[in-house]
Amino acid sequence: MPLCNNKVADDGTSAQPLQEGKAMVDSLIKVVACYRHLASCIGGCTDNSSLRRDLRQTRERAQTLALSCRNHLTARLRDKTLPEAERKETELLWVAFSSCLELLHADMCKVFTMVKHFSLANNSTMVQTGIQGGTTELAARALSLPDLQEAGGSTQTSSMEGQEQSQLEQEIAQVDRTLEDMELKVNVLRWTVEALGPQYADPVSTDSASLALLSIDEEAAQAFCSRSQVFAAMMLCGVAIFAVVLSVCVVFLV
Amino acid sequence: MTIRNVRDHGQRYRPRMACLKKVENVVLEMQDPKTGVKSQTQRLVITTIPHAITGEDIVAWIANRFKTDAAEARAMGTMMVAFGYIYPLQDHKRLILKPDTSLYRFQTPYFWPAQQWLVEDTDYAIYLAKRNIRKKGMLELYEQEQYNNLYKWMNHKWDFIVMQAKEQYRAGKERKKPDRVVFDCQERAYWVVHRPPPGTVSAMDYGHDRMVDPNMEEKKTPDYYRRIIMFIQQCIMRPRVKSSVSIGALIKYTTTYKEHDPFLHTCLPSSPWITDDVTYWTLNMPNVETPTKMRVERWTFSFGELLMDPRGRADFRLFLKKEFSGENLAFWEACEDLKWGAAETMKEKAQQIYKTFLARGAPRWINIDGKTMDITVKGLAHPHRYVLDAAQTHIYMLMKKDSYGRYLKSPVFKETQKKAVAPESHRFTETQLEQNAKRRRPSLSPIILRQQEEEQKAKLAASGPVDITQVMSKLERKQKN
Repeated sequence: MPLCNNKVADDGTSAQPLQEGKAMVDSLIKVVACYRHLASCIGGCTDNSSLRRDLRQTRERAQTLALSCRNHLTARLRDKTLPEAERKETELLWVAFSSCLELLHADMCKVFTMVKHFSLANNSTMVQTGIQGGTTELAARALSLPDLQEAGGSTQTSSMEGQEQSQLEQEIAQVDRTLEDMELKVNVLRWTVEALGPQYADPVSTDSASLALLSIDEEAAQAFCSRSQVFAAMMLCGVAIFAVVLSVCVVFLV
Repeated sequence: MTIRNVRDHGQRYRPRMACLKKVENVVLEMQDPKTGVKSQTQRLVITTIPHAITGEDIVAWIANRFKTDAAEARAMGTMMVAFGYIYPLQDHKRLILKPDTSLYRFQTPYFWPAQQWLVEDTDYAIYLAKRNIRKKGMLELYEQEQYNNLYKWMNHKWDFIVMQAKEQYRAGKERKKPDRVVFDCQERAYWVVHRPPPGTVSAMDYGHDRMVDPNMEEKKTPDYYRRIIMFIQQCIMRPRVKSSVSIGALIKYTTTYKEHDPFLHTCLPSSPWITDDVTYWTLNMPNVETPTKMRVERWTFSFGELLMDPRGRADFRLFLKKEFSGENLAFWEACEDLKWGAAETMKEKAQQIYKTFLARGAPRWINIDGKTMDITVKGLAHPHRYVLDAAQTHIYMLMKKDSYGRYLKSPVFKETQKKAVAPESHRFTETQLEQNAKRRRPSLSPIILRQQEEEQKAKLAASGPVDITQVMSKLERKQKN
């Protein structure tokens, strides 16, 4: 596989190898996050061949990224002339990378078992989970493409599925081997690595409007029953005010 | 990397969770558009989300499918909700099936409780971080505590966790809003099942994992046959008792002890395992001043019970002291000490016991018959742990047949019985129970308990045994005068 220098932000010349490594690990984290979102749709009512295709492409992308990350980080950590501060940072990246790879491994194993159970070719029943939309945007995000071309809905035959299964199995074994290799080649002591970032993730500042809408939705879903109660209370208040006004008028008349 | 000391790939077997596969099949049957459960749309403020089902529909479908009554169907539905195959849309923390119009939805297969995947703490940390982002720092109390704990021990991964949470959050934004809401509900439901809020019981408590699949066929190697042969030989050699006899003994035991078991019967004042209040344990400490009535009742069941309870033994010791026959109990205790003590001090202990209790003219001479005395003295030439076993058994039988009966009729025992406390049962409200749960503390360290025991023993030794020869000489002196 070609060693591609993948970065999240598209600046042509990256100054230090440290920034390169960080960018690679960041993009791997992004791809794994998208993969998880995609995997959660398997077996649901939106499970179709395009979802499977998206999954496959995301997975392949994750593999290439992982490979390049691993080579880069291994090379750096085995370099004895690395200064102390940079070594610490690289070790942090290493821990992040290996945890990411473990997440990917777990997700791939889950996808493997689920795909066996919910086979498209055999028209197995899918669970009605309430999801409606497609996952093309997620795949586009994962593959860093502005938009994804819609390959026509190709129906999956069972032989194609079988092929994909075996390929997935091979890739799972490969990730397994990668994890083991990593531990053998580079010795990073987990207890010496300290997190530099904050304990709490900063609330994402973009799109606060949709955030607010989402929280309203949540609360509305919870307080769904009490909406009618609120309405009844308002009615009662209106009636009471009306009665007060009437009595005042009566008093004035009399 | 998470430490993988168990080479996984599905090697952990949870035999009690075999029901999960069956529930999955039932859930898939419920999906059928014709014969399955009717689905409706859930209306939120702006959006509508399909595939919501009502509790009563679920109960009706189950009752119809399995030809049972409504109560049974409801119980089965609650089981499905407790496992996490269906989650409630309102009141999401209580995993029960309400047979009314409350709405539920099916969980996506990714979040089904699968048998071979352990629920990872990393995932939980990522979920909490995401939730923190969404709720802008307003996590629930127990979630906050868990978050802090995870931060402490998963510190090396924390940057990754925060980054992954942010990325998952941003990836979620790429989806349409109803899908985002559904995904959040799904994830939340998944974590309510696997990390239950405090005070709730999790259906995923299944006991220990097994290392070997009990349903797997074992290969018939010579080793396997060797094991089987050994096993069967031991079975044959085992002594056998008639089942009528053993069942009779079991029945007798259960009828005597059934009211004393804190799990089978209400224990006073309240069961600490249920109400998190430790009064029961403090009242029943080994060396408490006034024992409880139940404890005193247990002493009347058998002599063994009396001796095994430290408080009972102390009472018995007091009685024997009044009767001037304390040497039997002292000898018995010394033999126990020899049996259970350290190997290096064994020889000296045996010699000490011989000098104090068994030799002719010893200060605390015990009365055992000639044959036993012969065996013991011969054995003491080459002392080992169980050299005084015969003598100890003899003395034990003596105490049991003679002193025990007199003890139960003695004023000492009657006094203890009168002073015994019978605590009233507690009546805790919900809030008090929660407070009790928060105030849970670990019990006394075994080191401290051991120190207390040693102090007790030292006090006893210091108070001095009644020396028979001195008492006899005192009596003689009195007579002379």
